[in-house]
Amino acid sequence: MAKSEAYQNRIELLQGTLDMLILRALSWGPQHGYGIGQAIRSGSSDVLHAETGSLYPALHRLEKHGWVKSEWKQSENRQRAKYYKLTPSGRKHLVTEHSRWKKMSAAIASLMEPKGSEG
Amino acid sequence: MWNRLLRWRKLDRELDEEIRGHFRMAIEERIQSGENPREAEQNVRREFGNELLVREVTRDMWGWTALERMGQDLKYALRQIRRSPGFTAVALMTLALGLGATTTIFSIVNGVLLQPLAYRQPDQLYMAENIPPASAALPRKLLVNSRHFHEWRAHCGLCQDVALFQGANFNLVGAGEPVRLPALEVSHNFFRTLGVRPAMGRDFLADEEGGNSDKVILTDELWRSRFAGDPSIVGRRIQLIGEHYLVIGILPPNLHLPRGDEWGAFVGPPGQPLIFRPLLRQVARDAPEGSLNYSSVIRLKQGVRPEQATAELNALLADFVRQYKLQYRVALTPLRQQVIRNDRGPLLLLMGAVGAVLLIVCVNIGNLMLVRSASRYREAGVRLALGASRWRLFGLVLTEALALVSTGSAVGLLLARVGLKLFVARAPVAIPRLDEVQMDWRVLAFAAALLAFSTMVCGIVPAWRLARIEPQETLKAGAGSATEGRRKLWFREIMVGLEVALTTVLLIAGGLLMASFYRLMRVDKGFEVAHILTQEVSFFFGEVCARTGARCYRGGDGEAGPGTRSAGSGSSQPVTAVGRRVVEHAERSGRFPTSQSSRGHRQLPLRDTGLLQGDGDSAAYGTVPRSGRSGSSVGRDQRARGTVSVGQRKSDWQARARRGPAKPSLEVVGIVGDIRGKLEDAPPMMVYEHFWRMQPLAMSFVLRTPADPVAVAAGIRTVLSSADPEMAIPPASTMEQILEGSMAARKFQTFLAVAFAISALALASLGIYGVISFAVARRTPEMGIRIALGASGAQLVGMVVRQGMIPVVAGLGAGLVCSLFVNRMIVSQLYGVAPNDPFYIAGMMIILVTVGLCACWIPARRATRVDPLTALRFE
Repeated sequence: MAKSEAYQNRIELLQGTLDMLILRALSWGPQHGYGIGQAIRSGSSDVLHAETGSLYPALHRLEKHGWVKSEWKQSENRQRAKYYKLTPSGRKHLVTEHSRWKKMSAAIASLMEPKGSEG
Repeated sequence: MWNRLLRWRKLDRELDEEIRGHFRMAIEERIQSGENPREAEQNVRREFGNELLVREVTRDMWGWTALERMGQDLKYALRQIRRSPGFTAVALMTLALGLGATTTIFSIVNGVLLQPLAYRQPDQLYMAENIPPASAALPRKLLVNSRHFHEWRAHCGLCQDVALFQGANFNLVGAGEPVRLPALEVSHNFFRTLGVRPAMGRDFLADEEGGNSDKVILTDELWRSRFAGDPSIVGRRIQLIGEHYLVIGILPPNLHLPRGDEWGAFVGPPGQPLIFRPLLRQVARDAPEGSLNYSSVIRLKQGVRPEQATAELNALLADFVRQYKLQYRVALTPLRQQVIRNDRGPLLLLMGAVGAVLLIVCVNIGNLMLVRSASRYREAGVRLALGASRWRLFGLVLTEALALVSTGSAVGLLLARVGLKLFVARAPVAIPRLDEVQMDWRVLAFAAALLAFSTMVCGIVPAWRLARIEPQETLKAGAGSATEGRRKLWFREIMVGLEVALTTVLLIAGGLLMASFYRLMRVDKGFEVAHILTQEVSFFFGEVCARTGARCYRGGDGEAGPGTRSAGSGSSQPVTAVGRRVVEHAERSGRFPTSQSSRGHRQLPLRDTGLLQGDGDSAAYGTVPRSGRSGSSVGRDQRARGTVSVGQRKSDWQARARRGPAKPSLEVVGIVGDIRGKLEDAPPMMVYEHFWRMQPLAMSFVLRTPADPVAVAAGIRTVLSSADPEMAIPPASTMEQILEGSMAARKFQTFLAVAFAISALALASLGIYGVISFAVARRTPEMGIRIALGASGAQLVGMVVRQGMIPVVAGLGAGLVCSLFVNRMIVSQLYGVAPNDPFYIAGMMIILVTVGLCACWIPARRATRVDPLTALRFE
């Protein structure tokens, strides 16, 4: 029961949003796939879950676009892991996506909660 | 490619490692937070979801999975195909035949109708023709007058070049067997007009026309066959028509000059012209109101529209029109259209028919695949449930169709190659330009387009159906098996309806063509066909007469030789008649040209009833046909107007046309029944006059024999060659052979059209049968229930047949409507049958309905044999 409630609290991520979140997570430094997933989860206080079925395709897609680069490195517990790194063009993309998202969320907010009718 | 594959492998390995790493890290973390290892692993797996699917969609991102998938699908498709050899064999065979036939016919259409003529800028070339007023009961197109041509050539400003020519036959002696060769007499600029230059030697010069020139140009073909390709022939003399002619040029090979009869009616002998000689006439001195005996080919200047040129050509004749009250107008026909005019309709008809058959083939295969895919619903459901995408399923079925169709297409192309060779070599059809037909890139492109189209038709519906499956429904045990809704069948029924509609159209068209053929065979030819032998001979008349002295063939001409009952001779054979037409301005009613004459002496043995009026043995006589039983309004009108009666004297139009010394006028001594020229056309108006008034270079003897005419042929040959060893004697032929030859093309076309219609019928019945037996098989439990509840066998059969016939009847209706339009298009190829003749349409419908009923009835019978106990246990 508790599990399904927890599931309901999660929010399905739109593709474009997921890309932006991944880029954001990588802007703090290189990270492997599992780490990115955890970062999104903990960064959103457990609200946003990047499903593996979306996360890995998204990573490979971003790599194909040249927004991230990958290399194999030793992880902190000394295991080989594939680390993704933001590229300069990825950084630029993150900025445009971020401003776009800000515009959109402001627009959605103003529609959903008009200032006049509040209270 | 190889590198790519290696990189791909590497990426695959890396993805594998990446995901394993993910697992490891997730499990470690959970263990650290206090879960026991087994629980941790289970939780991680649950959280991760379908690992295979994750890999799959991630691989998608690399962008080349499409290739990999196609490989997989192809492997799967081939496995499917191998698993059902019966279906595959039927599908491949029908596909190969359908695609092969369609490609063959398209190759011919491509070569004959679509490729330009092999001359320089062929679209600038036009034929000039005279169009008589509609009231004049003459052929729609007449030849042109040589004096008119002179005006055009001298003054036409919009024309680049205007050439004149006339068909002829020359006897070639001294190069192998004496032989009679088709030839053209041409104005000196003929080749320049066509844009052709001799490959060796030179063209004709302006002053070689109109004199008694002894120059000739030969075609490459004649040069190779008779003179062994010896280049020294240019500048040498060869013996033609009893005189020596100087060869001045050889034309380039593969010129594909139209055959005599392709230039227009009555232009010349039906063979391809092999020898060219300058015109003998001085066209400037010809009579402008006289005979219309020549053809004219005109090259218009760049950018000139034919209407403009037509106006100018007519304006140049304004004086003549006023002075001689000429009634006809000049019109231009594109040369290409002229050359292919008779074959366009039949070829397009065949193309349409073969295309319809191919469509039926594809629909049938689509239907069979649909039936087969129905047994794979459960498999599809499992695939979907396991996470296969609907697109993937769609692609899978389409790949299967593609594999089938491309194999069929490969075999079909091979068949088409063979078929085309056979068609060109063997088909009894004299299609112009057929020798130019070959498989070029256009044909291959067409075959490729056909392949794509067929794949779509075969595969798209089954693919769509399979991809739309709901996994829950198909996986439920025994879902929907007790009774079957009609809903799932409607696709198949539409397909059956489509097949039936196409078949209806083909059957009706085939039936009408067959009826036309039958009617044409039975048309009143104007004479008894049996026991007639014709022997063509040609000679240089003066020379032969001089050499054989008093005999001069007179003895062999009229008198019945041993074994013959009666003999006659004429300047052309009936039925294939290609005589020169002389258009006369009749004296009294002479507002329009009224008669064409062919000369003959005693051609009358053809008709045992002989003369209808007057005296047959008179030494010199002319006769005008009266309308015979076959009924020609021309003759009736003429008689009604009283322009012709026995005993009347008519002036000699030949003499007038030549402006020569006036010959005595002709007396009408009798009136004979109509004799057909071409079987399709109304009997021509003929004037027969005594043979010896003319001096023809060729004639044909017509002999009626009491016994087998072939037996007489050898004797005649001996008699003729003993009279003149240098005479060219082509093989004699019986009238039956001539008739058969003149019908061969139509027979062949009718045969093909009917064959296509019958294949369509067979395929459609197969389609109906397939759908009904599938429906019956699906409804086995339902049938069992019905039988258990007391339904009789007849009731069950009735029900199945009734339901099965719904799409058939619907298709029939749709086909009938289409047929109304199609029949209007083939009306030019019908003879003696109305395009919507209710008798034939009803007949074809009965055939179709009967076949449809049979195709429904056989599987319906199976329904009655269902044992209710087994059927219900099957549940």
